[in-house]
Amino acid sequence: MIATLNKIMPLVGGGGEGEGHQEQLGADFIMHHIQDHVLWEFHPFGYDLSITKHVLMMWIVSGLMLFLFSLAFRRPKLVPKGRLANFFEFIILYLEEETMKPYLGHDSRKYAPYLLTAFFFVLFCNLGGLVPGSATATGNIGVTTGLALLTFSMVQIAGIKNNGFVGYFKGLIPPGLPAFILPIMVPVEIVGLFTKHVALAIRLFANMVAGHVVIFALLMIIFSFKSWGVAGITLAGILFVSLLEILIGLIQAYIFTILSAVFIGMAAHQDH
Amino acid sequence: MELLTPSVGTLFWTGLTFVLLLFILKKMAWGPVLQMLDEREKKIQESLEKADAAQKETEAAVAKNLEIMEQAKKEAQSLLSQSKKTAEATREELTKRAEAEATKIVDKAKKDIAQEREKAVEELRNQAAELSVAIASKLIGKTLSKDDHKDIIESSLKQMVEAN
Repeated sequence: MIATLNKIMPLVGGGGEGEGHQEQLGADFIMHHIQDHVLWEFHPFGYDLSITKHVLMMWIVSGLMLFLFSLAFRRPKLVPKGRLANFFEFIILYLEEETMKPYLGHDSRKYAPYLLTAFFFVLFCNLGGLVPGSATATGNIGVTTGLALLTFSMVQIAGIKNNGFVGYFKGLIPPGLPAFILPIMVPVEIVGLFTKHVALAIRLFANMVAGHVVIFALLMIIFSFKSWGVAGITLAGILFVSLLEILIGLIQAYIFTILSAVFIGMAAHQDH
Repeated sequence: MELLTPSVGTLFWTGLTFVLLLFILKKMAWGPVLQMLDEREKKIQESLEKADAAQKETEAAVAKNLEIMEQAKKEAQSLLSQSKKTAEATREELTKRAEAEATKIVDKAKKDIAQEREKAVEELRNQAAELSVAIASKLIGKTLSKDDHKDIIESSLKQMVEAN
C-alpha cells in the first residue's frame, strides 16, 4: 500500500493542475489497478497468449489450492482429523447439500468435481485479490467469461448426455406450445441459452470490479482533498469495504456454483 | 473499452488452468474425499443401527434373566412346600403306626395277663379243692366218693364266692 502511495504521490500531488486534469488522473489510477498488465509477451501462431498479471494470479491461486487440498486430503480418514480437513469437509458437504443435491439429484456426484473446483477456484481468486499487491483474476472479464464458457460446456454436455442430442434441443422449447408461438419461442430459447451464461460472467466480473473501484475511489479521496485528516475517515471506509469484499467474494463464489448447478440440472432434467 | 472485452489470451489460460486444476483435484481431492464422506456416513449409520440392536438384545437378555429367576423362585417354593407336605405325611404315618404298635402290644399284654390270671385262678381252684379234700378227709377220717367231694366243694366254693 505504501509503495502504491509513493507511486501515486507525484502523479496527483503536483499543485498546478486543474480540477478536470486531476479527476482524469484519479480515473487513470483506478483503471490502472483494475486492468490487467502483460508480464510476458507470448504470441504463438499470431494469437496473443501473453502471460498477464491475472493469469499469474490464477496460477498462484491454483498452486495454493493444490497445496492446501493435498495437505488436507492426502489420506482421507473416516474419523475426522485435522482442522484443515475438517474445514474443507464442512464446506464440501455444505455445497453438496445446498447447491448440488436439490438441483442435480442422483447426478450430483457426477458434477460435484466440476462444481467444487469452480467454487474454490472462484473463491480463492476473489479472496486472493484482497491481498495487497495482488490482482483479482475474477475481476477480469476474460477470466469470468472463460469460467462461464466452462459452465456452458458442462450444461450442454449434461443436457445431451441425459436427453440425447436431438432430445436436448427439442426439450429446450417447452412442450405443448401452440405452433404459432414457435417462431417467437425458438429465438427466445436460443438467446436464453446464452444470456444465462453471459449474465454469469458479467455478474462475477462486475461484483469483483465494483468493490475494487470503491476501494480505490476512497483511496483517491485522500489525494483529492490533499489532507491527511481525511485519510482517517477514508481508511475506515476502505477497511469496511475490504471486509465487505470478503463477504462478497464468498457470496459470489457460492452464487456462481449454485447457478452452474441449477443450469446443469435444468439441462439434464428438462421436464421440471 | 479494454476492460469489458474478454481477450483471447485470458480466455485460453483460464480454460487451460481450470481444466488442469479440475483434473488434478478430481484425482487428488474430490474423488477420495467424496468417497470417504460416503463411507463415513454409511459407517455412522451402521454403528447407530448396531448400537440399537445391541441395546435391544441386552434388554431382551435382562428380561429373560428376570423371567428365569422368577421361575426358579417359584420352583423352589413349590419344592419346599411339597417336601414339607411329604414330611408331614411321613410323620403322621409314623405316629399312626407307632400308636397302632403300642396298642397292639398293650392288647397282647392285656390278653396275656388275662390268660395268666385265668390259669392262676384255675390252679388256685384246683389246689383249693385238693386242699379242702385233704383237710376234709383228715377231719372226717373217711374218704368221700368223688361225687360227694365235688358237691361239697362246689357248694362251699359258691358260698365263698358269695361271701366274697
